[in-house]
Amino acid sequence: MTIQRITRRGILGAIGASALAGLPGCRSGDKGSASEGSGARRVKIGLVIPQAGVYVPLGTDLKRGWDLFLERHGGKLGNHEVTTVVADEGDSPQSGVPAVQKVLQSDQVDVIVGVVNSAVALGSQDSIKEAKKLLLVANAGAGAITGAARSPYIWRTSFTNAQIASVMGQHLAKAAAGQRVYILAPDYAAGTEVLTGFRKAFEAGGGQIAGEAKPAFGKTQDYQPFLAPIRQSGAKAVFCFFSGAEAVAFVKQYHQFGLHAELPLYGSGFLTEGSVLAAQGEAALGIQTTLHYCAELDSPANREFVAAYRAKYDAVPTCFSVQAWDAANVLDRALAQATALDGDSLSKALASVGTIENSPRGPWSFDGQSPRQQVYLRKVEKRESGYVNAVVADLGAFSQPA
Amino acid sequence: MPDWVNLHFVSLLNGLAIGFLLFILAVGLSLVFGMMDVLNLAHGVLFLTGSYVAWFVAGPSPSWGGFLAALTVAALVGGAAGALLSLACDRLSRRTHLAQALLTLGVALIAAEVLSALFGNDVHSVNPPEALDRSVSVFGHAYPLYRLCLIAIGVVVAGAVHWIVERTLLGALVRASVSDRQMVSAVGFDDRRVKALVFGLGALLASVAGVLGAPIYGARPGLDVTVLILALVVVVIGGLGSVRGALLGALVIGQIETLGRALLANFASFLLFGALALVLILRPRGLLAPANGSRS
Repeated sequence: MTIQRITRRGILGAIGASALAGLPGCRSGDKGSASEGSGARRVKIGLVIPQAGVYVPLGTDLKRGWDLFLERHGGKLGNHEVTTVVADEGDSPQSGVPAVQKVLQSDQVDVIVGVVNSAVALGSQDSIKEAKKLLLVANAGAGAITGAARSPYIWRTSFTNAQIASVMGQHLAKAAAGQRVYILAPDYAAGTEVLTGFRKAFEAGGGQIAGEAKPAFGKTQDYQPFLAPIRQSGAKAVFCFFSGAEAVAFVKQYHQFGLHAELPLYGSGFLTEGSVLAAQGEAALGIQTTLHYCAELDSPANREFVAAYRAKYDAVPTCFSVQAWDAANVLDRALAQATALDGDSLSKALASVGTIENSPRGPWSFDGQSPRQQVYLRKVEKRESGYVNAVVADLGAFSQPA
Repeated sequence: MPDWVNLHFVSLLNGLAIGFLLFILAVGLSLVFGMMDVLNLAHGVLFLTGSYVAWFVAGPSPSWGGFLAALTVAALVGGAAGALLSLACDRLSRRTHLAQALLTLGVALIAAEVLSALFGNDVHSVNPPEALDRSVSVFGHAYPLYRLCLIAIGVVVAGAVHWIVERTLLGALVRASVSDRQMVSAVGFDDRRVKALVFGLGALLASVAGVLGAPIYGARPGLDVTVLILALVVVVIGGLGSVRGALLGALVIGQIETLGRALLANFASFLLFGALALVLILRPRGLLAPANGSRS
């Protein structure tokens, strides 16, 4: 069943891509004149987010952040009436790349926002470039998207895997000076980026890695065989990166096997972000993570954002909600100045939006095409409302590491 | 306690827990093959069915009632599926092993697709019953209570299976059917019914193992193949058709999967099949292979 669906979508995508390649010029020309010709200016946005598969919780939060911004700004971004078309990214490039092509081709959107999976962002580069449309990545964290494999039309409002991890590396090199740290992450691209980013910053600060493990991604449920060597390595702390079901399993087993009492657990913020924290419960107490957002941040912008979010969805916002909120936020500014809706004009406008002062995550700006932003040290604490990531410290502003 | 044991105590204990889980899974495969000469490649998918039943019936954080209900449902489903498989295989009893393997493999592939159509491609995690969802201190080492219970359940199942095969009328019939099927029919027993019963029991154990294993391995597509391979390695190492062999094989593999990974982390992926190759070279019929394939 699944295979059939993917194949059909794949074919559709291929047809879409070849059609696109044929007539890129006239398409963008059409669009430009249409939006300028009518009186009220309009912009059509393709929101590409997972609505099925393992990343659904992220898709939900992204959609909420996006919808909330529009609702609070009268459905307009930079004086343009906004029409949002949602497409299902699924949980793999096999479903995500065709979804991007679908909004470009059959929905004829002006801007694409979203994309959780880095492989989808990288796999869509060619069709984005052909169509000369802007893609504003609201999650995917691979460094290459705005680094080595940079395209002028792809910008990011989220983070890079190494950015978040290297801040923790730098922090631990100072905080746990002279103590060896054991590192773990799933054996896939993002896991490798996190470990490399951490190791580089940690060793540059004089830290020593006690050992490294990479459990198979998406297949490991029993972490005991990976936990045993940690004790024997003589490490004094552990740094890890897991998300979703793996984050829950790892944190619970770390607790069940008693490691939490001996070795403090540090992580990339996704380890305890969003719904996983409730599932981890008591086992997560005391875990320290770095992330570019924290719902507990005490700033006017964040207090207002959290209150509005709670009122509308009866939920605590996550970094994903903020990434989509800020995608709308920067588009709002860019559309106000842009002369047209094509990728070149919007990229130019984005380059000059300057510092986003009113973001819930704190002030940030584009450094290149990815955010330079505050990264926070957070610690899981128990409050009356449940478990939260409390802010311990603001570790400063950081760009995407080279 | 010697230092070495103390250092690796948790790995050793976890090896026991995984080992007993593998025993519950593999003993059915071993008996069905050893006693009835049917290689059931649908064994892994029976385990996965049990895991999904645990997630679906008991929910992610089950109560005692929910967990027992999941065990019951899985036992019924597994038993019925086993009996059906037995009838299907019976029609092929005069053909070669290849025909049976193809039949059960086909069933396994279809069933796995049906499971992923029903339950999606997500990784579902299942918690142990609430009362067991905590750790206890064993000689000063924190260890999850649920896994200790798994060891106890494994010991009980091993004892029960041994007793059934060695001491009951059913066990006698099974052993007799293997030696001389026509004689069993001649004295008035329907040997197809015996086969269906044994096949059903083996399948029931596999799906029950799926429920028991769900809090450790979760439920996800592809798990069926992983556990089928583990079960095959267990029965080949232990010797086909022997309850004691399956137990020994399962405990050895349990240790290789935990202690082995801890000691030789860099060679973890080679250990399992390295051990299999070693046994095949030194004892090609398995560590405890019965002389005529019929003794327990």
